[in-house]
Amino acid sequence: MNVPTEHLLILAGILFSLGALGFLLRSNLIVILASVELMLNAANLTFLAGARSHSSVGPLNLDGPIFALFVILVAACEAALGLALVIAFYRQKQSVDIEAAAELKG
Amino acid sequence: MASLLFYALSAIAVLCALGVVISRNPMQSVLNLLGSFVAVAAIYLLAGFQFLAAAQILVYAGAIMVLFIFVVMLLNLTDREESQSVWMGLFNGRILGSLAVFAGLTVSGLIAANGNFAPVDTISHDGNLDNMTLLAEVLFSKYMLPFEAASLLLLATLVGVMLLAKRERNGERHGAQLSSQDGGSEA
Repeated sequence: MNVPTEHLLILAGILFSLGALGFLLRSNLIVILASVELMLNAANLTFLAGARSHSSVGPLNLDGPIFALFVILVAACEAALGLALVIAFYRQKQSVDIEAAAELKG
Repeated sequence: MASLLFYALSAIAVLCALGVVISRNPMQSVLNLLGSFVAVAAIYLLAGFQFLAAAQILVYAGAIMVLFIFVVMLLNLTDREESQSVWMGLFNGRILGSLAVFAGLTVSGLIAANGNFAPVDTISHDGNLDNMTLLAEVLFSKYMLPFEAASLLLLATLVGVMLLAKRERNGERHGAQLSSQDGGSEA
């Protein structure tokens, strides 16, 4: 694949901004979590783009893929915990809308 | 050819990500997310990161997606769908998701048909970049401590999720539930 690294980074940037947009604009907790996953995925893409460009000259660089692996692991933990929180929240409020969580607003 | 595939996959990934954000139905959001993950996994494969692509499919498109879909279905959130325009219909997860899966299969098929699992024009050292032996050597030497910390994190997550999602018994309160049970009655 002879695609310049910049294009990979642009793709990662677009995916990250879409995730950030969803995180900020939507009020459904599940969609918010999905947006976080989208952002983590974009971060992974950035790591791999970096590894790819750094390995093109010089010795093999595996730090990027390893970091991406750890990011995938943390994303799995985050999704499991977040969805457990969503379930606990739904049990209390019968809703997954963040507008329902307004007790601390004062 | 490979770069053409990359741009097509990028377009699918971006459209799916857009679908995640603008879908009204959480189920459609989650299905769009699946499409985006598969497209990105195919991009990994194209870039020569085979193990990462496999991990992406297994963990993201497998485990995390199952969790999401399970929760959406458990909480019965897939309702109240108004009539959609044609453009919204593109983002209901079916078209883009199946497109992403098809593209992913095409990429893996092309790479398998090439005979070698290293795509032709990636970084070619003596091995390919994502040689799993090399990856394991680095992971279990240089990154030994983060690896162990990761296992600890998984264990902590396991315990935490069980504690959070456990149904509350009569008369028995857990620290996770902070507000009272009838908190939802106030509108």
